[in-house]
Amino acid sequence: MLVAPFLAAAACSGSSDSGGGDDKQVTLTYAIWDQAQVAAMKQIISEFHSQHPNIDVQVQVTPWESYWTKLQTAVTAGTGPDVFWMTMVYAKYYATGGGIAPLDDQIKSSKMDMGAYVPAVTKAYTIDGKVFGVPKDVNGFGLCYNKQLFDAAKVKYPDESWTWSDVIAAAQKLTNPQKGVYGFVAPEADELSWYLTVPQVGGQIISPDGKSSGYDQPATVKGIQFWTDMITKYHVSPTLQQTTDTDPLAMLTSGKVAMRYCGSWEPEEIAAVPYGKAHIDIAPLPAGPDGNRNYYSNGLANSMSAKTQHREQAWEFLQFLGSERAAEIQAKTGTVIPAYEGHAEAYAKAMPEFDLQVFVDQLKYAQPFPASTDTAAWRDDATKQFAEAWTGKASVDEVSRSVASKMNDALSKEKK
Amino acid sequence: MADPIRRRRVRHPVAHLVLCIGAVFMVGPFLWQLSTSLQTFGESVSVPPTFLPHSPQWSNVTTVFSALPFGHQLLNTTAMTIARTVGQVLFSSLAGFAFARMQFRGRGVLFGVFLSVTMVPYQVFLLPQYQIMQKLGLLNTLVALFLPGMFSAFGTFLMRQFFLQLPQEIEEAARIDGANILQIYWRIMLPMSAPGMIALGVLVIIWSWNDLLWPLVVNSDPRQMPVSAGLASLQGQYTTNFPVLMAGSLLASLPVIIVFIVFQRHLMSGIAFSGVKG
Repeated sequence: MLVAPFLAAAACSGSSDSGGGDDKQVTLTYAIWDQAQVAAMKQIISEFHSQHPNIDVQVQVTPWESYWTKLQTAVTAGTGPDVFWMTMVYAKYYATGGGIAPLDDQIKSSKMDMGAYVPAVTKAYTIDGKVFGVPKDVNGFGLCYNKQLFDAAKVKYPDESWTWSDVIAAAQKLTNPQKGVYGFVAPEADELSWYLTVPQVGGQIISPDGKSSGYDQPATVKGIQFWTDMITKYHVSPTLQQTTDTDPLAMLTSGKVAMRYCGSWEPEEIAAVPYGKAHIDIAPLPAGPDGNRNYYSNGLANSMSAKTQHREQAWEFLQFLGSERAAEIQAKTGTVIPAYEGHAEAYAKAMPEFDLQVFVDQLKYAQPFPASTDTAAWRDDATKQFAEAWTGKASVDEVSRSVASKMNDALSKEKK
Repeated sequence: MADPIRRRRVRHPVAHLVLCIGAVFMVGPFLWQLSTSLQTFGESVSVPPTFLPHSPQWSNVTTVFSALPFGHQLLNTTAMTIARTVGQVLFSSLAGFAFARMQFRGRGVLFGVFLSVTMVPYQVFLLPQYQIMQKLGLLNTLVALFLPGMFSAFGTFLMRQFFLQLPQEIEEAARIDGANILQIYWRIMLPMSAPGMIALGVLVIIWSWNDLLWPLVVNSDPRQMPVSAGLASLQGQYTTNFPVLMAGSLLASLPVIIVFIVFQRHLMSGIAFSGVKG
């Protein structure tokens, strides 16, 4: 029977000391969840290995849905991966629960410059004053639009001057019920919908201290209302039922909707569809009514398991993952924007058919993604409740208040 | 009574219609899967959906083999399923026999404790079972895939119910002829409970072939994973290459379909046999 190399390594580390010797051969495991990024990760690992021949790195790919079950099981049992991807959504949970290690001592002794990364990402992984992750990537957003449909309706292409009212006006002109074409698509997907508009009017999802909900603020309601109005007031977007049945991105790349708010990870998929490659382009995300461009951005970090047997080697690897070179490798794939600032050009040039620069230009407005220790407890509930507003059964105001009160209950239970 | 032939004629079209509608619902998803597996990515995500690929993309099938150690994973799935099925049928029938046919103190209480296991959701066992595998040094091995699945409280319950139905007289006759308890189990009871074992076996095979969470958690090396876990890792966080995923799923379900076609007659006769006997 085959014995996996990293099982052997785990057995070694259990019996001998934690391996400080530089010449000792060590195998690290590195857990990630996105199949699309495996190639870039493997290239990073091979370059790292050529610089550190004594450290082997094994990639473990587990799909998103199972990644967290597996990680929690393995970390609890003390056999988890040494280094793994972390998202802002779970960072506090793992940091306060002792699953990931604070890295301040290593950062200080290696003189790593945390200022090199997009501040929103660094901030999100700095928990109770300690750094729990080396920023990996950051999300930008833009307005994807169908040039063919714009031309047919004789509407000017969107540009950086656009605000909400321009989107609404254009969507009304582009909507063509006879042809089954909608001007806009308003999915009920926090990250891709109201997390982009709430900050533009000064609203918030969670207070900066993470202790109370922002859903009951009038500005937050206004940011959410933008989306429901598209369906229930202006009738320029498919309904919630339709966007649940059919992926809104597929609607865009099939010419069924003329505009959609897009994430920086999506151009790759748009380009994979011939129609999308030919007719879609990307404009800057429209600003709020007063020109505010702030938005909530998730971004990943590489974290070190608190229980790793190979702290030194894991730190060497983390440093490389946070390096300019690793940023460059990731950027070239066009899949993600590296969190390392000033290295987004390679991303912007990865797909010349689209204006990817708009995602990069937007990064300066990024705010840390709303999160608390148990983010899922209130985030999932919000998504569940807002369906009522999306279908027009209840007003955004009513639902928001109900979401806020449940969220405040959940947050008050989090006290350590 | 008066005109049985006519009655048949009236009844059959309705029955056929119902069966045809049922067949469409059953076969539809398979055909859809087959069609998707031969489409380009663009076709697979188009709205309205593409029913037939413009030109069949056979390369999707080869992509499955290059993206995954697919043959190896298929062997893992097969080995895992055989070990679990043999284990469950053997151990559950032994335990079920004891609960049904043997008198011992605390039998009722013990059986109650047993049954309580079936009332706990599987996820609760995940961590303890993982830790047992870890202590045994079996993480990331083929053995870890099937070891905890070789026994089940449900199987024990099923087999116990089956043994309870068998007539007491046969057991007594065997005892008079000088058979000991193991001989009664092995020579008398087991052959008579073939339909029960087949039913349990089929359930275990289906469950094991599709089992995802446990293999995904306990093993990390793709070469030590079954097909279910391998296919799951083809899903990206945002983008999934649906045609390749469907091609892989089709290949993964092919062996089960072949097994069913080959053994269909045996499965049916087993069920029919039990009906007549009972």
